Amino acid sequence: MSECEYIKPEVLEKMENIVIFMCNECGQGSANTAGVARMAYNPAIRIVRVQCTGQVGPIQIMDALSNGADAVACVGCCLGACHFFNGNILSMHRIKLMKKLFKELGYSDQFVNQYTSRAAEGETAVGDFEDIVERLATAIREKRTFKDEC
Amino acid sequence: MNVRIFQFNGCNKCFNETILLKGESKYKVEFIQDPQNWKEEKTDVSVITGFLLPDNKEALNKIKKNSEKVIAYGNCATTGGVFALANQKGHKVSPLNKIIGDSININGCLGEIEELKLEIVDKDLPNLKNLCIVCGRRKTCDYLDDVKRQIDLDDTETCFNDLGYLCNGFVSRECKERCIDYNAPCRGCKPIIERSGIRMLGMFGTLMGNIEVATEHSEKGATDKLADKDDDVTENLPDIVGNFFRFTLPTSGLPKGRIPSNGNLLEDVFTGRLIEELPLISGLLGGDHSISLTLKIIETYEEANNIEVSEQTKKYRHDLLKLENELKKVIHSKDPDQYKKITEEIRKIAGNMNLSNVFFGGFRSQIDGNDNFEDYKTHVFDVVEGTYKNGSVEFTIDPIGIVKEIKIKEG
Repeated sequence: MSECEYIKPEVLEKMENIVIFMCNECGQGSANTAGVARMAYNPAIRIVRVQCTGQVGPIQIMDALSNGADAVACVGCCLGACHFFNGNILSMHRIKLMKKLFKELGYSDQFVNQYTSRAAEGETAVGDFEDIVERLATAIREKRTFKDEC
Repeated sequence: MNVRIFQFNGCNKCFNETILLKGESKYKVEFIQDPQNWKEEKTDVSVITGFLLPDNKEALNKIKKNSEKVIAYGNCATTGGVFALANQKGHKVSPLNKIIGDSININGCLGEIEELKLEIVDKDLPNLKNLCIVCGRRKTCDYLDDVKRQIDLDDTETCFNDLGYLCNGFVSRECKERCIDYNAPCRGCKPIIERSGIRMLGMFGTLMGNIEVATEHSEKGATDKLADKDDDVTENLPDIVGNFFRFTLPTSGLPKGRIPSNGNLLEDVFTGRLIEELPLISGLLGGDHSISLTLKIIETYEEANNIEVSEQTKKYRHDLLKLENELKKVIHSKDPDQYKKITEEIRKIAGNMNLSNVFFGGFRSQIDGNDNFEDYKTHVFDVVEGTYKNGSVEFTIDPIGIVKEIKIKEG
């Protein structure tokens, strides 16, 4: 696991739950491929299977964050390849607004994000996991996560 | 039966509205403006108005102990209200049920007096519909091409949200104030569901589907991801807290903000808001000074930017100021009939007690059927960066139109 090389153990210890909403098509497909290839990723990651990332909105993200998640990410199909219509793009709009909202309140915008992955390539999913872990580490170092509320 | 009305902090709009309870014969009404020093007496119904701070906890518990029933009246007491926008800067405005455990809520800014009357005598409240069901505008449900910040009065048939103006009607109940009748989108003071702001954010984010969102190549995942840089989506909505959480920030489930405060709660409410929102917010929170404060802000900006206003506009504004002086006298004498008469006259010009009809450059809707509306119709204006000062009000706005600093002198 590459992130262990430069994220200090005390920061990694603070990551208890990272909720990833993965879509049933590309997202979950790539996670399956990664599982078949026995790729390792951070044990804090909790995957929630959804039909499409278009189902995930601010309410679900806030539910996760207020019930103890440190970070939330959505992993959907590649741009233009949503198996329904444009759920991944709509989800991106909403997550972008959430990021702006957190910034306006004085928190980091790094602990929510949206990614895409390819079902045939497990490393795309694992790479996305590494990226969200790295981003969360930045937010923890800056002391600007929701758990740092004063 | 005795009813006691307690006014805590903030504007006294709801407190003044309870003057109308005096006309009822079934109970005796007593007004208490200094609840901290109230000597405890047994009370059947206590009505709490105004916004609440942790310092008020002792007084509130005293009220709860001595009352059969505690009613939170108006948005400030039920959900935090517009003053709770100061929580973005670390203040601790909280709704009544977070302080004393439970309460009966009557939402609205201003809260509806008919609902309060029903609640006092233990009658069921009317089952109010969603605002969109009673709204006269038609929805198209198309994705937006851009979000508009100021109302263009050309189209009065299509849904505000479909035209690109953020309207909170989706998550609100029908109400008496009806900002939508005066070409002002609903501001969401009467939420129909919990965490209405967050839900509206999801709804409006979806509507923005046609607006370009920035993506970038992810090094690790070798696919695309959402980019951190500003894009059309964020530039279209410069103030999300102020637009979506105007009345419900403490009950929205969001943590307390960490933006540095400048110490003054009222100024913290205004800082960070958009210039076109200023008259809307000052109309909400000025109490018995709301009209003069709103007109002061509007006139300061108009004078500095040479926005011309017609004689008719000036006349109506002058009438409003005169009515405000009369209102102050009536509030002092607490005469329900006079109060009703004067507020009705204010409503005729300003639309409602939140002054929805008053705007930069004129009015948003026709006041009198015999007038020529073109005379005093408001129009879309340019946002000009700078510092504006006029007597008791001084504010600085940045190029996007966000208020960076504001100073309001009392009185």
